[in-house]
Amino acid sequence: MSNVWLPCGDYHQYYEEDQGWWQSRFIKFKMILLLLIVFVGIPQLLPGYFVSVATMVGYTAMGALGVQLLIGYTGLVTLGHAAFIAVGAYTSTLLVLQFPWPPFFTDLGLAYPISILVAGIVAGIWSVLFGLPSAKVKGFYLILTTMAAQFITVDFILTQYISQIGGRGQAFSLPPGTIKIGPWVIEGDVKIYYLMAVITTLMVIAMANLLRSKPGRAWVAIRDNDIAAEALGINIVRYKLLAFFVAGFFAGIAGAFWVSNTAALSPEHFPWFWSLWLVGVILIGGVGSIHGAIFGSIFMVLVMEGLQWAVIPLSAYYPKLLIDFAYIKDAAFGLAICAFLIYEPNGLSYRWWQIKNYFNLWPFSY
Amino acid sequence: MELFLMSLITGILVGGIYALVALGWVLIYKCSGVLNLAMGELTLIGAYVTLTFYQAGIPFILAVIGTLLVGIVLGFLTERVFLDKLIGEPILAVIMVTVGLSFFFKGMVEFIWGTDTRVFEPPIFGIKPIDIGFLKVSPVYLWSFILAIVLLVIFVCFFKYTRWGLSMQATADDETAALSLGVSARFVYAAAWAIAFMSAGVGGALLGNINGINISIGYLGLLVLPAVVLGGLNSVPGAIVGGIIIGILQNLSGTYLDQYFPGGVKEIVPFAFMAVFLLFKPYGLWGWERIERV
Repeated sequence: MSNVWLPCGDYHQYYEEDQGWWQSRFIKFKMILLLLIVFVGIPQLLPGYFVSVATMVGYTAMGALGVQLLIGYTGLVTLGHAAFIAVGAYTSTLLVLQFPWPPFFTDLGLAYPISILVAGIVAGIWSVLFGLPSAKVKGFYLILTTMAAQFITVDFILTQYISQIGGRGQAFSLPPGTIKIGPWVIEGDVKIYYLMAVITTLMVIAMANLLRSKPGRAWVAIRDNDIAAEALGINIVRYKLLAFFVAGFFAGIAGAFWVSNTAALSPEHFPWFWSLWLVGVILIGGVGSIHGAIFGSIFMVLVMEGLQWAVIPLSAYYPKLLIDFAYIKDAAFGLAICAFLIYEPNGLSYRWWQIKNYFNLWPFSY
Repeated sequence: MELFLMSLITGILVGGIYALVALGWVLIYKCSGVLNLAMGELTLIGAYVTLTFYQAGIPFILAVIGTLLVGIVLGFLTERVFLDKLIGEPILAVIMVTVGLSFFFKGMVEFIWGTDTRVFEPPIFGIKPIDIGFLKVSPVYLWSFILAIVLLVIFVCFFKYTRWGLSMQATADDETAALSLGVSARFVYAAAWAIAFMSAGVGGALLGNINGINISIGYLGLLVLPAVVLGGLNSVPGAIVGGIIIGILQNLSGTYLDQYFPGGVKEIVPFAFMAVFLLFKPYGLWGWERIERV
């Protein structure tokens, strides 16, 4: 790990130390503090509203991690990621609702955890299916095939066919108590938050480790120059499809988590807007870094909530504003993206890196 | 057989409108390399602007010309305010700015005009079908097609024979060489956006005559993306042919596939066809095949 900054005179004696995630005492302290904030501070100390906002941040981050993997690390631009999230969500819901679980499983609360895994795998396979053109197609043409994934999956297959299963009409709803992990029924802001925190943490760890192993290096090589990568003996089709699978897997798990958050499901939760939103998240956060996906999610969700807060006091004077809020929100969001890309094209993670460097080199920052 | 011919002709006629919008898209791409995802919203704006003019009592043709003028202004403004600053930035950022623009435009359109479906009142084209030899065609389609073709011809002539058009072609071909010959790249980019706004605007106005105007016009505008990919991203004839193919496909699938796959197959088929088509011709029909070396 060459990018870990070590204090002067600190050196490693073993390769294991050199490969470690948390190399210095300061980093250990920092990460433990972060984990404490995530697992204790936010859910226990903050009121419910903020916890649900944090859950939203986590859900966005789950999706954004997959997009980051595809766009930021493999260079495959995708504008249809919401489709794979939707596939995961529907797989999980249908498994929980329709599959004839033996009582043993439901008693132990295994149905939902198993469905999360299956959702990930199904979404991954679905994603590979739409990733197949990437073997031949590049750049802008690939953008269009991923867009096709969005429209075919969400607007057609899910809306017209999958939603009809079980005769519940357009929207599925999960009765209380069906979403159960082990002995815990997942309901209420705090429990959903904990589920989100665990899944997001696992995802970040999995992705960080993938990226520093062979597939990760292969992906980065493909992103930087795919012909050179092929000349180095990397099977680019296989690794591109693997990237699609992993991104789809993450998306599927995100979708399965979303079910527990809303306890209801309809195709409207996964519009094309959401795919674009996820790309916006990583562009604002910074392309090509895991930090980027998370900073971007925090920023975007907070901006949206902030807009809401800005409008509510005004609505007393202009009642029309509240009705038109959705439109203004869209417009403001669009402007925010444009302004951000124009004035901060490297994203938030670059800023973060600058701040970190400043303090690492302090007081002699030259 | 008659049903087949009927959907074929309707497809070609609607395809003419798509071709018009696709032309604007390809111009932007050729001149400045920007993949414009806001095209759907541009058609939306055009449709509503024409409607507003029309409802103010201006005849339809003049309303369309007014839309063209508004399109020029908006196109120049958009380019100057947003895209001018992004020259030289990574292409993904530029694409995302157009996405941001599409949210912005859509939000503004909804804010200004609301979300109800509106129609041109009184209707511009008669309801009585026109007999064209062996078939009856609704006059809306026919006149829209004729107007679209006229505008297409005007745009292509502009591109081929005028000084500005030639400078756009030069920039599209080789930007550095064009710059060295004294072509202003900034002007060319702005002109490309102005033309895109104009063509999309008129396309939107024509589409609005067919089914009424609401947000779904934006989706129809999005259909130009499969059209341009089908034709090849940097080919003007490709955009026109692609637009017509998409129109035909859409109508044929609406006629024949709808009974097997009920519900919205018409909207999906262009995208599905394009995804499969790209597997066999990765650069569309006439797109430039880039030979890459390490």
